[in-house]
Amino acid sequence: MSKLYSLKVLEVKKETKDSTSVAFDVPFELYDTFKYKPGQYLTLQFNLKGQQVRRSYSLCSSPVIEEPLRIGVKRVKGGLMSNHINDNLKVGDIVEVLAPDGRFFADVKKENYKTYYLFAAGSGITPILSILKTVLLTEQHSYVHMIFGNRSQETIMFHEELKQLQEEYKDRFVLVQTLSRPKSNWSDLWKTPSKEFRKGRVDTACIEWFINEYPPYAQNVEYYVCGPGTMIDNTVKALENIDVPFDRIFIESFGGDEAKNTTEAFENANLTAHLNGEKIEIPIIKGKTILRALIDEGKEPPYSCEGGVCSTCLCKVNKGKVHMKNNLALTDKEVEEGYALSCQSIPLTEEIEIVYE
Amino acid sequence: MNTKRMMHALPVEAYTSQEWFDLEMKTIFSTTWQFAGLVEDVANAGDYISVQAGLNNIFIVKGRDNRLRAFHNMCRHRGTQLLRAVGKNQKAITCPYHDWTYNLEGKLISVPKKEEEFPNLCNKELHDCGLNLHEASVDIFKGMLFVHPDKDAPNIMEFFGDVEPCLGPHIVEELVEYQEKEGEPFYTKEIKANWKIIVENYIDHYHLAHLHEGTLNMYDHAKAEFGWAGQHYWFNEPLVPEYMADVENASPQPLIKANKSEDMRVYVPWLFPNIGITEGESAWNTFHAIPLAPDRTLVVIRSKMENASEWEFTKQYTKSSMSKVWQHYGNKGKYEGDASDSMASGDFMEEDVYACEQQQKSLSSPMFSVGARAQRGEYAVMRFQEEVKKWMEKHGAFDKK
Repeated sequence: MSKLYSLKVLEVKKETKDSTSVAFDVPFELYDTFKYKPGQYLTLQFNLKGQQVRRSYSLCSSPVIEEPLRIGVKRVKGGLMSNHINDNLKVGDIVEVLAPDGRFFADVKKENYKTYYLFAAGSGITPILSILKTVLLTEQHSYVHMIFGNRSQETIMFHEELKQLQEEYKDRFVLVQTLSRPKSNWSDLWKTPSKEFRKGRVDTACIEWFINEYPPYAQNVEYYVCGPGTMIDNTVKALENIDVPFDRIFIESFGGDEAKNTTEAFENANLTAHLNGEKIEIPIIKGKTILRALIDEGKEPPYSCEGGVCSTCLCKVNKGKVHMKNNLALTDKEVEEGYALSCQSIPLTEEIEIVYE
Repeated sequence: MNTKRMMHALPVEAYTSQEWFDLEMKTIFSTTWQFAGLVEDVANAGDYISVQAGLNNIFIVKGRDNRLRAFHNMCRHRGTQLLRAVGKNQKAITCPYHDWTYNLEGKLISVPKKEEEFPNLCNKELHDCGLNLHEASVDIFKGMLFVHPDKDAPNIMEFFGDVEPCLGPHIVEELVEYQEKEGEPFYTKEIKANWKIIVENYIDHYHLAHLHEGTLNMYDHAKAEFGWAGQHYWFNEPLVPEYMADVENASPQPLIKANKSEDMRVYVPWLFPNIGITEGESAWNTFHAIPLAPDRTLVVIRSKMENASEWEFTKQYTKSSMSKVWQHYGNKGKYEGDASDSMASGDFMEEDVYACEQQQKSLSSPMFSVGARAQRGEYAVMRFQEEVKKWMEKHGAFDKK
């Protein structure tokens, strides 16, 4: 599962001032291992400043084209790995990589007839680009309606590639770009306002306008959202306001205040769990959630979606601290009271005691 | 099954018996994507329509997210039909009988006197009581709405995808409906014939130059191309050269821009099981054959035309009536006589209705049999019957009980 592979860097491409995309050469014998679904990520491992660091970066390449695996990496302020990649990585370097993974992906099939709404902000474009390309190329009957928000013209990643897709698939692909702080020049005074960009953030008003302006044609509709935490919250709220069923919304939090998968678990923490009157004491092996640790021990904790949505796996933490990778079910108050979704919880302290009530 | 007397692939009783008709209702019209209207029928959030699709009555409602939902139009309490024909701006759906109420997701949200009368529903949320509306499927194909009674229906493109490239270049969403009386379809008629007789007439190339020798002769039947894409029939043919040469003037309505070209053709496909489209030079029509009884079928035609001003329609009409083309084409009845006689009316629909009803009449004669079949021009008639039989077989119509 967490086996490391050595991949050679094929290309390092500056996408914007603060972002780079990195392509890897996957040797033939690893083709199967590195098969991925559009939306998934790669986890890279480096030794930086004397410590082992792992970070996950979404793949922006499409698995259905003959193209190398490519990730998009945007600088995070003070970020150990993102800055290392942007500053130092070069063609020919060997990088330690885990096989692709992730629950945020589109199940693309040739025969599908769907309308995809894609909402991306900033570097959140990375997995969205992969989904976009894969859908357009594979599903000849499906439609894609996409909003892409950025700060200004200069921070737009994959701008050229998006333009090309827009040109090539204009019958089935609508792209609206919005800028929160568009750069303007003095010379703009003599020009008519550009139609290329809308002004503002990806927020409730923007989303409602967009869906009314571009209603779905195929009626099997899915909504994919990727961006910083606030953008996700706003988008999901806007979608819920107009009664979009929750099971049609897929989200990946990204590139913002809460960077995903950057919280490291405490290695081999000791878990004490009270389940159905039984007291279970086991270690939590690195990479496992509390729920998985119990299941792998042959226990039967309650759970269902394993995606942080349904709250079937709810438990109360009586001792220690945990981190939820994803929480779409519990309110802040419940978390404060010590409740946690065990399917999403990794230990932050050496001793963890929980109870399934 | 009476195997002695056959139409082609189907026995004669398939066109006359109530038992067979009931089987078709169950195994064809309740297992296929059924035509439900045009996309603009459910234009805004809250709009709904209800349609009968085989044995099921299904309503389509548009949510605030602009997505359509379909449900079986039946209260989960005692089965009362919830919604009538068409309506607007529903926030919730309330059954008229006991005021049980559902939201637009089909979830049960209110039961009057719940505590006193239904204590067993009180320990759960209402929407978890297994009494939500039964979901159905709805989707859009070429500007038309279709419903399927199964909520996990195979997607509509798996059903229609193969025939799509054989349809006309018309962009249906950009056309506007033509109604002589507001809110009514262009043409509605109950025809005294089995629905399959009507389909077979629609897809019969052989009859075009004969039954319609004076009414559809502005199209060049000798140059027609036709065939099958799975269970669907496709057909197209050019205009005759004289009409084509003057079509800008002679066309009765403004030409449909998306279909304009130097080798303009008209497209007349039949989509399985019971919806035809006629995609012409100046009109785009749906031809919906709704079975009512073994010997009765309701035909509803809705017509769309280029989105042009009234003035342009009037201008075109004037130009068309002056065109010499119509001195030779398109309006001469097969027989001489009074216009009240279908066969002298000069109207191809009346000719078709006449032929279908006359054929149906003979089916009950002990002397009836099909004498021969034109190998090219009537191949479609046999193929259609095979498709019907295949579909019924696949859905258990002939399984031993």
